Amino acid sequence: MGHTIAEKILGNHAGGKPARAGEIVVADVDFSMIHDARAGNALKMIEKLGADSLPHVTRTALVLDHYSPPPNMEAANVHVAMRAFADKYGSPLYDVGDGICHQVLPEGGHLTCGDLVVGTDTHSTTYGAFNAFGTGVEGTDVSAVMMTGKLWFRVPETIRIELQGALQPGVWAKDVTLTMLGKLGAEGANYRALEYCGAGVAAMAIDDRMTLSNHAAELGAKAALLEADDKTIAWLKAHGAATPKPVKADADATYVQRIVIDTAKLPPQVARQHNIDDVVGVPEVVGQKIQVALIGTCTNGRLDDIRQAAAILKGRKLAKGVRMIVTPASRAIYLAAMREGLFEILTAAGASVEAAGCGTCVNITGHYIAGDDQVVISSANRNFKGRLGNPKSEIWIGSAATVAASALTGIITDARTVAGGDWRAAA
Amino acid sequence: MKLIKGSARVLGEEINTDVHCSSKYLPGKDTAYIALHAFEQLAPGFAGAFNKGDVLVAGKNFGINSSREQAVHVMHRMGVAAIIAPSFGRQFFRNAINNGMPVIECDIDGITAGDAIEIDLIGGRVEVAARNIARAVPPLPAAVQALLAAGGLIPFLQQHPDWNLKGVAA
Repeated sequence: MGHTIAEKILGNHAGGKPARAGEIVVADVDFSMIHDARAGNALKMIEKLGADSLPHVTRTALVLDHYSPPPNMEAANVHVAMRAFADKYGSPLYDVGDGICHQVLPEGGHLTCGDLVVGTDTHSTTYGAFNAFGTGVEGTDVSAVMMTGKLWFRVPETIRIELQGALQPGVWAKDVTLTMLGKLGAEGANYRALEYCGAGVAAMAIDDRMTLSNHAAELGAKAALLEADDKTIAWLKAHGAATPKPVKADADATYVQRIVIDTAKLPPQVARQHNIDDVVGVPEVVGQKIQVALIGTCTNGRLDDIRQAAAILKGRKLAKGVRMIVTPASRAIYLAAMREGLFEILTAAGASVEAAGCGTCVNITGHYIAGDDQVVISSANRNFKGRLGNPKSEIWIGSAATVAASALTGIITDARTVAGGDWRAAA
Repeated sequence: MKLIKGSARVLGEEINTDVHCSSKYLPGKDTAYIALHAFEQLAPGFAGAFNKGDVLVAGKNFGINSSREQAVHVMHRMGVAAIIAPSFGRQFFRNAINNGMPVIECDIDGITAGDAIEIDLIGGRVEVAARNIARAVPPLPAAVQALLAAGGLIPFLQQHPDWNLKGVAA
């Protein structure tokens, strides 16, 4: 009987033999991450433990992304403590404006195919796009990794999801993850790993694949793994990652569920206000007014998202009464977007661009608090009531294409119906 | 690990511990404060009437979403002896074990507030004798028993920095 990718990667890191779903293993962790929303307690705890040395701390990145820039003294002081810790122990540190943890870890070459990576953030599933087992943990876990280089894991059962064809122009990985949320419900894959496969995945650029793995967190997934191909290997090489050790699933691996999605026919999807699994096709809600459009976050703040938005807004203006903020996921993306002239296009259209960070995802920087009865269309990952600071506002979730098309018209709009909505990077 | 015996305190399904049992949305409030008010919006007076050694019995997906570790610290302070639910949020389940809180996946049908519950973590059994309920549950793996017995992950590693899970008294 064969093994899933999750069983193989966890087994490889726990003695070498593939593990079995349900088993508990103690595995060597290749890289870990702790961000500023969780660092305060963990760094205090680890100092208090007074370990003589932290031999694995140089493989633990500290990322200042949630409070970027810090909105209050407490957050600023957490940043001071994180910088001092990194100086003392030699951990890599990504400072305010460098970007979101899930973007800067791959860009920094910190992970490769076959790796086991943990981070203090549910969206650590993002690393699965690179064929690495990435999963979210807490401060105690990362403290244990800093001390011992190891962590315990229950080997998850896996759901195999086949995407049967290349997405249409104007349709993105976000529309697939929203479809999955509509199908399984929020937390519908609790404890499980996902494996995405098929022609739909093969056709996707890396940016889109990262969305696929990232947004699996809302399904409750422990990991969301893709097999590596030439695009994966080339991307990792370009970012200075260690030699990839690609891991494939066996043909006779055991899955708890198999799902097939006819991605070639999939229309754009949105999650309606307050519930990420209240998902409908965009054509069903065209006409819904919006006042705020947000592009950013670890789910959809990447270069292709910004390129798509610029393709739609080039030479045009936002609809009257609409405000739009674009928050690149990292400094590298920010620089690339500047060089390509995308910010000039977006700024001329009436949008604002903010420093890279988690900014527009949740009201912790206070950068965007929606007003009463305002409707936000966002490329973020969650939309529960009050997430942007006002329970009397609504947050709808869609792809960057849907956000930009809606910003242009002032109503939720199918990107396939506007000029530039069919933009796609050459594969 | 000894048998856990306690009185049942019952909560509903899909409980988000970030919202109901942490300071995530009450910035600046400490564990002691939260322990006096946890789950108040779901069951008024719940924390105030909670006695040390009571067993928390909850519906499916207890602790869903981005669960903060502080929730487990709060429950320790409330005196929670163990938590029984048909399923847990992944991160909460992990946090509970890492912080020395026994969590048992078990059907809770028929268990009512005030019932005397007996839990055998090693044998894999949950009993409410007064209601003729005796349910077999998968025994906790030895590794998890070892972490719970030590009081959590960090105390475990202080005793066993080599992660040697074998030969650890459960």
